Amino acid sequence: MISELLEYKFIVNSLLAGILASVSCGIIGTYIVTRRMVFLSGGITHSSFGGIGIGYYLGFNPIIFAAIFGVFSALGIEFISKRSNIREDSVIGILWSFGMAVGIMFVFLTPGYAPNLMSYLFGSILTVSNLDIYLMFGLSIVLILVFAFFYRTIVFISYDQEFARTHKIAVSLINYLLIGLVALTIVLNIKVVGIILVISLLTIPQSIANLFTKNFRNIIIVSIVIGLIGAFLGLIISYKINIPSGASIIFSLVMIFLIAKSFQLIQGNLSLKKQKI
Amino acid sequence: MGKILEIESVYAGYNNDVVLNDVSLEIFDDDFIGIIGPNGGGKTTLLNVILGLIKPFKGSVRFFDDIQSERNNKIGYLPQINKIDKKFPITVKEVVLTGLIYGSKGIFKRYTKSEKTKATETLKRIGICDIKDTAIGELSGGQMQKVLLARALVSSPRLLILDEPNTFVDNQFEGELYEILKELNNEMAIIIVSHDLGTISSYVKTIACVNRNLHYHKSNKISEEQLASYNCPIKLITHGEVPHTVLHKHPH
Repeated sequence: MISELLEYKFIVNSLLAGILASVSCGIIGTYIVTRRMVFLSGGITHSSFGGIGIGYYLGFNPIIFAAIFGVFSALGIEFISKRSNIREDSVIGILWSFGMAVGIMFVFLTPGYAPNLMSYLFGSILTVSNLDIYLMFGLSIVLILVFAFFYRTIVFISYDQEFARTHKIAVSLINYLLIGLVALTIVLNIKVVGIILVISLLTIPQSIANLFTKNFRNIIIVSIVIGLIGAFLGLIISYKINIPSGASIIFSLVMIFLIAKSFQLIQGNLSLKKQKI
Repeated sequence: MGKILEIESVYAGYNNDVVLNDVSLEIFDDDFIGIIGPNGGGKTTLLNVILGLIKPFKGSVRFFDDIQSERNNKIGYLPQINKIDKKFPITVKEVVLTGLIYGSKGIFKRYTKSEKTKATETLKRIGICDIKDTAIGELSGGQMQKVLLARALVSSPRLLILDEPNTFVDNQFEGELYEILKELNNEMAIIIVSHDLGTISSYVKTIACVNRNLHYHKSNKISEEQLASYNCPIKLITHGEVPHTVLHKHPH
């Protein structure tokens, strides 16, 4: 069955997309989770829908516009929240809904029905194109290089920004660089699981990994592995019962989380009993 | 006795709010200064000015004897513990090692063997080498303070700055901490910020009171005038033969 499936190009592409999504989300998700930027990431995700709408209207690849929109709103949130008196979470809320509003406006202004729109909202790993794969591959390479070269600085700043500032580290510059990468990672993974679900790839594997390891580097590695398992399980379920792959991938990941959590609880109880004996 | 830091008529604050008003202070290499003052009086602002986290509106901050330059960091800093995310996935040793990263040159590097040895030595000195591989989420408040102290000390500073190190810790740790600081004072100047002036006054050499202005008293005795700058009763330990706690004017 497997060799048969691999003859279809879309199956090969979706497997590649699953692998690349696990790598990029494993790395960036660890940064997001440990720095408690999940809400911010949700804001970037939804505001990038504005870019998708504009791309549709102009007849260009929506992902390119989504990337521009996502990166600008990410940098904007970082800039505004540091410099003005507006609260950071309010800025996120405004950009979150503004992006969605722009997207909806342009989608409705576009003549005709938008058949692929659902694939951006809920993801469609089976329609991933060659261009998407190249972009995701490039992003994964950049992320691996950045996190390999700057590893100790990224951990340093993420742990205690103020202390890093007293040590004359270019904290703002690195913050901008990383938030830009967060935005790119989110946008390029929208094809895989969709706008509504992409946050899950950035948080569920990390939460599972964090149950078993308390080391930044190990959380990245374990998250990638768990992301891979979730992606493949999800693809199989999606293929078997014909449902959108985004939903089945996330369903698989949450199941893994529940199993891991119960396993941890049982293990904890056992070791407590042992101690008492 | 050499001068290491001179703050001259500094005005500083946030946005347009001037918190520090014409503050001057000289620090020498064997000083042990306790900074006290009411909340919002500018204690943390003063530290931020010294640490270079905020630029003063007016006035100057000058370092002497090469204690701070582009390549060199001889200021150790212990922030308030509640600013630290206890769930962050990092071990004690990793936290201490970050104290050695300094300036733009350190960004790409990995830790060298001598840096790792230095971290281990510092952990031994503070007496927490046995927990070096523990994740910080599993530490008690006192242990966490010791980890932050080790991070501040690992770069062998000439000036150690501590922001409220006695919050969220038990009395036993507090005593231990002051003993460590007393010993460290032989090698470096120490500035300690505290809201609890009773306890610190028996260890520090001099006391500075920050309440928008700065009153620097070259002794560790607390005067009535300093007490008057507080509006709430404070715990005060007298300097008699037997230390005990006295509560002043208790309106509550």
